Amino acid sequence: MRGPIASGAILLVGMFIFLKFILPLMTAPLPASLIYLYLALTLSGIMIFGTMSASSLESLMGPIFRFLSGEGQSGVGRTARLAVLVLFPLLVGWQTYSSLAPSDMPPGENRTIHPAPPGEFVGLANPYQNNEANVNMGKGLYAAYCSPCHGANYDGKGTAAPGFNPPPANFSDPGTIAQLQESYLFWRIKKGGVGLPVEGMPWKSAMPRWEVELPDEFIWKIIMGEYDGAHQSPRTWEEEE
Amino acid sequence: MLNRLRFLSTITFVGVFGILGHSIGLASDPPPADEVGASVSARIYQVEGTLPVDDPNSSQWASVSESEFKLAPQVHWPERIQEVTVKSVKVKGLHNGQDLAILVEYEDPTEDPQDAAAIEFMVGDKKAHFAHGQEMLQVEGGPVNIWYWKKENGKALDMSAKGFKTLTAQEKQDVKATGVWEGGSWKVVFSRALRTEDEKDVQIEPGEWRNIAFAFWDGAVVDGLVKEKGSQKAVSSWWSIRAEPTADNSIFGWVILGLALAAGFEFVVIRKLRKGQSA
Repeated sequence: MRGPIASGAILLVGMFIFLKFILPLMTAPLPASLIYLYLALTLSGIMIFGTMSASSLESLMGPIFRFLSGEGQSGVGRTARLAVLVLFPLLVGWQTYSSLAPSDMPPGENRTIHPAPPGEFVGLANPYQNNEANVNMGKGLYAAYCSPCHGANYDGKGTAAPGFNPPPANFSDPGTIAQLQESYLFWRIKKGGVGLPVEGMPWKSAMPRWEVELPDEFIWKIIMGEYDGAHQSPRTWEEEE
Repeated sequence: MLNRLRFLSTITFVGVFGILGHSIGLASDPPPADEVGASVSARIYQVEGTLPVDDPNSSQWASVSESEFKLAPQVHWPERIQEVTVKSVKVKGLHNGQDLAILVEYEDPTEDPQDAAAIEFMVGDKKAHFAHGQEMLQVEGGPVNIWYWKKENGKALDMSAKGFKTLTAQEKQDVKATGVWEGGSWKVVFSRALRTEDEKDVQIEPGEWRNIAFAFWDGAVVDGLVKEKGSQKAVSSWWSIRAEPTADNSIFGWVILGLALAAGFEFVVIRKLRKGQSA
C-alpha cells in the first residue's frame, strides 16, 4: 500500500520525465521554465487533493511534519533529517550567491541572420536569363570572389572562413538561400556586411560591399551560379490566379 | 490544528519548491555554445603590484588562463590576401587597478623586421566596424583605437581611425609594447593605463565588457617582396574582453543573510510543529 506522499512523488517524477524526455520525441523540447511551471501546477493539484479533508491532510502532511519535527527519531531518519535541515540553508545561500555574483559570460548578442532588406531591394527580379552560359559565368565569378569564404562546395567552409565571427553562410544548408528570394541575395552581395541594419550587427560582418568592385550584372549571375552550385532554388511568391 | 497545518504545509512547500525550481531553471538552460569552437572572450585578471609590461616571458603570465581566437586572411576589402601565416592568437591579460597589460602570442616561423601586431578596440558607445571603423550604411558607427607594434622599431603606436584612409597616429601616445621572438612564435605585450585623458582612446573600466579585434603581419621577404603588409594581414572580427572587477565582498553579506533567514525559517517551522504535536 502506498501513502499519498509516495504517490505524489511518483506523479511529480513521472511528470518531469514525460515533459523532459518523452515530449521532446514528439515536439520541440520545452524550456526549463515551462517544465517548472507544469511541475508547480502538478504539485498544486497534489496539495489541493491532499488538503481536502482533515484525514487526507494528516496522511499527506503528517509524516512530513513528524520527519521535520524530529520527535522520536533515530538512526537513518535522524541523519536524513539533519541532512535536510543543513542542506536547505546551504541551497538558499548558493542561490543568493549565484543570483548576485557577476556573470562571467560576455553580453549575449542576438544577431538576426536574415534581417529585412531595404524597400528598394524588395521584389527585384533577376534580369538575366537562367541559361547554361550565365550560370557558368556566375560559377566562375563565385569561384573567384566568393569561394575563399563561402567555400568551393558552397558550404561556408572556405579557406578564409575559420577566423570570422559570424561565420560565412553555408548555401547548401536549406536554412539559408533556399529561404530567400534572389532580390535578397542581390541586396546582401551588393551592400555587403556594412549594409545590414542594426539587428544584423553590421560591425562584425566581413562580407565585402561588392557594389564597389563588381557591376550588377556580375552579382545577378553570381546568384544564379550560387543556387545552381548549392543545389537550391530561390524562394518565390506563390503564383496568384 | 487543521488551519495551522494548512498554513505550514503551504509555506514549506512553496518555499522549497520555489528554490528547487529556480535551481532547475538556472542549471538546465546552458549559455549558448560558441559558433567557431574557440574562445568568445578574453579576461584581464586583476593582480597586485607591478605588471610584467617589459617581459612577455614573466612567470606572472603563467598564472593566468588564456583565450584563443582564430584568424582569417583579410578578404573584406582590397588589397585582399588569400593565405596568411598567423592562423590563431592566444591572449592573456593582467591589470592592477591602474594599468593593464595584454599579451598576444602567435606562431610565425621567422623573425623579420616587418613583422607587426595590432589590437583594436571600439571607442565610446557607438558600434564601430572591425575594419578600421569603416562607414556602415544603416547604422551610425563610432571610431576605433588601434595599438600597433612593429618589430623594426620595437615601439608601439597609439592610433585612431573612423573609416578607410583615416588611420592616424594620435598626438598623445599612451601605449607601450615589447615583443620577443623565440622558437617560431612571437610574444608581444601591449600596456597602457586603464583610463586615459584622451577621448580618442578606449577606456577600460574593470567589470565592463569591451570589444577587441586583432591583426598580424608576417613581414617575411619572399621573392624580394614583403609577404604581408598594409591591408594584407591576418585579422579577426570583434570578440569581447573584460578587466575583472575587484571582488565585491558585499555579496557574501547577502549570502550569510540568506543562510540565516533559511535557518531561522526552519527553526520557526520546527518549533511550531513540536508545539502542535505536544498540544
